[in-house]
Amino acid sequence: MPQVINTALIENQEKLLAEARNQVARNAFDMKTCLDNNKMMDALKFASNMLGELRTSLLSPKSYYDLYVGISDELQHLEQFLLDEFQKGNKMSDLYELVQYAGNIVPRLYLLVTVGMVYIKSSEGSRKDILKDLVEMCRGVQHPLRGLFLRNYLLQCSRNQLPDTEGSGGKDGSVEDSIQFILQNFAEMNKLWVRMQHQGHTKDKDKREKERLELRILVGTNLVRLSQLEAIDAAVYQKSVLPNLLEQVIKCKDAIAQQYLMECVIQVFPDELHLQTLNLLLPACADLLETVNVKEIIIALIDRLASYAHRADSGGIPSDIKLFEIFSQEVAIVIQSRVEIPLDDVVALYTSLMNLALKCYASRIDYVDKCLCSCMDSFKKKLSSLVEGNSSTGREFQRLMKVPVDLYEDTLTVLKLENYSKAMELFDYNGRKNLALHLVQSIVDKACVISSTEQAEVLFGLLSPLIKDQTDQPKEEPDQEDFSEEQWLMGRLVNLLQADTPDQQFLMLNTARKHFGTGGDSRIKHTLPSVVFAACKLVMAYRSIKDEDERWQMKCERILKFSRETIMVLMKVKPELSMKLFLQAAIVADQVGVETFVYEFVTQALSIYEEDIADSRAKEAAITLMIGSFEQMRSLGQENQENLCTKCAQESSRLLKKPGQCRGVALSAHLFWTGKVCDENGEVTERRDGKRVMECLKKSGRIAKQCMDKQVEVQLLVEVLDSYLLFHEKGNQHITTEFVKQVLSKVKEELGSIEEEEAMKKHFDNTLAHIQAAGNGATYKDVLA
Amino acid sequence: ELLLALLCTGVCYTLAKMSFLGLGQGADIRIELSGLEARKKVDVKMEDGKKEKLPLYFDGESVSGKVHITLKGKKLEHHGIRVEFIGQIEMFYDRGNHHDFLSLVRQLDPPGELTSSTTFNFEFLQVDKPYETYTGTNVRLRYFLRVVIVKRLSDITKELDVAVHTLSSFPDMNNSLKMEVGIEDCLHIEFEYNKSKYSLRDIVIGKIYFLLVRIKIKHMEIAIIRKETTGTPPNIYTENEQIAKYEIMDGAPVRGESIPIRLFLAGYDLSPTMRDINKKFSVRFYLNLVLVDEEERRYFKQQEITLWRKGDPKTARKIIK
Repeated sequence: MPQVINTALIENQEKLLAEARNQVARNAFDMKTCLDNNKMMDALKFASNMLGELRTSLLSPKSYYDLYVGISDELQHLEQFLLDEFQKGNKMSDLYELVQYAGNIVPRLYLLVTVGMVYIKSSEGSRKDILKDLVEMCRGVQHPLRGLFLRNYLLQCSRNQLPDTEGSGGKDGSVEDSIQFILQNFAEMNKLWVRMQHQGHTKDKDKREKERLELRILVGTNLVRLSQLEAIDAAVYQKSVLPNLLEQVIKCKDAIAQQYLMECVIQVFPDELHLQTLNLLLPACADLLETVNVKEIIIALIDRLASYAHRADSGGIPSDIKLFEIFSQEVAIVIQSRVEIPLDDVVALYTSLMNLALKCYASRIDYVDKCLCSCMDSFKKKLSSLVEGNSSTGREFQRLMKVPVDLYEDTLTVLKLENYSKAMELFDYNGRKNLALHLVQSIVDKACVISSTEQAEVLFGLLSPLIKDQTDQPKEEPDQEDFSEEQWLMGRLVNLLQADTPDQQFLMLNTARKHFGTGGDSRIKHTLPSVVFAACKLVMAYRSIKDEDERWQMKCERILKFSRETIMVLMKVKPELSMKLFLQAAIVADQVGVETFVYEFVTQALSIYEEDIADSRAKEAAITLMIGSFEQMRSLGQENQENLCTKCAQESSRLLKKPGQCRGVALSAHLFWTGKVCDENGEVTERRDGKRVMECLKKSGRIAKQCMDKQVEVQLLVEVLDSYLLFHEKGNQHITTEFVKQVLSKVKEELGSIEEEEAMKKHFDNTLAHIQAAGNGATYKDVLA
Repeated sequence: ELLLALLCTGVCYTLAKMSFLGLGQGADIRIELSGLEARKKVDVKMEDGKKEKLPLYFDGESVSGKVHITLKGKKLEHHGIRVEFIGQIEMFYDRGNHHDFLSLVRQLDPPGELTSSTTFNFEFLQVDKPYETYTGTNVRLRYFLRVVIVKRLSDITKELDVAVHTLSSFPDMNNSLKMEVGIEDCLHIEFEYNKSKYSLRDIVIGKIYFLLVRIKIKHMEIAIIRKETTGTPPNIYTENEQIAKYEIMDGAPVRGESIPIRLFLAGYDLSPTMRDINKKFSVRFYLNLVLVDEEERRYFKQQEITLWRKGDPKTARKIIK
């Protein structure tokens, strides 16, 4: 139902506006015809009729504006004509009197303004007196809407006529006169605008406020005009302009006006002037109505000045203006004087203040700390419980906490803020976790290096919600994907732990280990592997400085021990991963030649393999990995090496599936060929045990033949053939050319017997191509033919 | 000139009728004022409401000219020819009863006989003309010349109206008018007009200051009212006529507003204030401040102002000469 009424009203508006426009068009036409025929009196009469349309009370502000725009366009014709008349020598003073005989005030004043401007341009009268007269006479229109538009017309017409020079300026006046002119117009317009609020029925309040907002630009134009006067310098602004503006703003006691006008003042006047007048501007903020959102006003000002200080072309903040102290005090006053101010606003204020501190006084960490401290105080006063991370206040507060994280070039500067961790403690689990996450993300993104244990301790303290279970965290399981991502970030953080010396690095890793160790099974599987890798890296670091540190080996052993313990913790949670880590650790231990650790790590890996890895595919992969790792080790004695080789070959043949067995055994062959043995003197030699290699390969071939699936069998045979070829080329005497030929022809034969797959054929073709490339084409000619 | 000619035709017609009835020999009378070309003419509302342009005289100025008598027959017997200058107040409700406050006579020709058309010179030296020409609702004050050829049965007469303006010097005292008026707990205003006495080309400047506003005012206007009082007690007739209506405020003011007034008087049809003219009538002027509220109720306050005519420097010099 209200919708229907609304539509009717709109249609009605359109009809009314159309009628008014018709009248305007008709009268404007007659006016112009008379002007063309030089009948001035008649033209004025039609102009007055046309202007009579602006006397209406029926139009909405929007429609009235439309009408006004149309009419003010038409009045330009009149003005142009009058200017021409003046050129012909007609006296403007007579005309200025003549139009004042119009009986109705609205048309009369529009005409008076129009003629007044020509009067000024003709230099016949005193510019200053005419302006003063016009702005004074406009008082006659007390109807808000009509008055606002009339005065807007005055402002619009006088745009280029305002004196803008210093000094007295004679009859033309000076900038002082312009200031008085605009200030008076502004004061009157503001009164009219405010008055709109109090007219009409209470139930239309929303509609009225909407209309007022539509009209605010008319009032604001006064301020824009003031800001365009070039002769206004800081002294004049401070003495004549701002105090008067503020007086009007405060005096009007209207929330909408106060809010808008304060924002206007801040936006239209240059920052340099604001800097000089903070002593006026800020106290005014405290005098605004309770319902005014002072927060936004102060924030707008702070943000402007902060970005001003940041701009390249500005001179920066003069050193005698203690911007931070001034605003800090102001914010405190505002908060104190407004009992009802919501916490959200308090936080927003401090956020802005912090912004200022960071942008203008980047080196003053104490400023930021002070903001945190004050903000916390407000919280303690107003809130007895923890801040909920998901509440609007919580979000505002988090925004504040994120400001230093985001703005400091080195995120770790945050660690120097004494109050940061205290502030974090005010939050509930959600809030703390979000903040911790933001912090670690920022550190990782900016790749900030953590170089001391002390730093690490503080940081881990702040990141505690991500490191270990919290007493107040929710019972239900967190989203696994999010959780993994968070922990993955923590893992990346470990990479940024980079102390200046290896010794310190070890201490730091210990710290990390200590903290992460408390994380529980779900976390350590993400974090501890990073620690192990970091430890491995540290071992290698010691190796690279072995000439400088004679105790390096001992230190390496300590680290390896540390690694071992760390992996042991992981073993129960992530056996497969632990196995890989053991292998990695074994390789590192091997690099620094500590056989005991190598063997320990390797056996740990093997025992995990035996006990904890059940899946056949996982087993295959693990065997492959182990063979690869063992093959490159250089620190094992003959016995240990032999054990490992045999173990690998055995385990391979015990794999569940034939293809796995076949491939595993073939791979084991490498351990007998390039596997390395270290004697008591530290001499390292490759085993080159051709017989054992041959045995492995033969066994592999036999297993292949046991496959029921012909396709699989042939595929495996091609692979075995490859192995034979490889070792033959490497010079294994046990694999003769004849033997290879046999295998080759056998494979060829088998291939012919089945419907070969594309991939398999390609594989075989590659093998043949390899033979040709190795220059052995001739040798196998008869087989290949 | 044309007007005079028209008047003459009227007279001719009357005379012709009289000749036809055999009541005597006729003659045309024409009055010619000296220096008519150079004399200023002003609009004067005549009895029928139409405006005519009449030559303008001031107090103390001589009125002179010629009377042309053109015979229609061979001769004209008469009992004397005279010219009169008369100032007369005429009440419209009492037509028969004119009151002449001024009556000057010059004998042009003793009783006898005119045998040819003749021209007589006349002059009324430095005539006192104490009042201003005026045509109102109930009363008219006029000055005219009348030539009378006295005959045995009915006289031949001819009248010619002239306009008279009375000039005043600057008033010695001219206080501003300032007053606080209102309706208790409803509306209190203070108004101020810059003078109490205005010349006819003056500008009324003033302001209205709102001390208390509890009604929804729609607009405010200022009117000039002419109050014409005629008769003597107990038979007094008063007529109010609104000469001008001028909107000075649109919309509803609030407490503390001050609204400017600037009203140019020159554009309106005004006369000087006339007080107790020859104990017959008065014409007074009032500024009427009217506030209209949203329910079309009118609140008003009348304030008398004195209007006076200021001589322009040119005229003044002429009189002194």
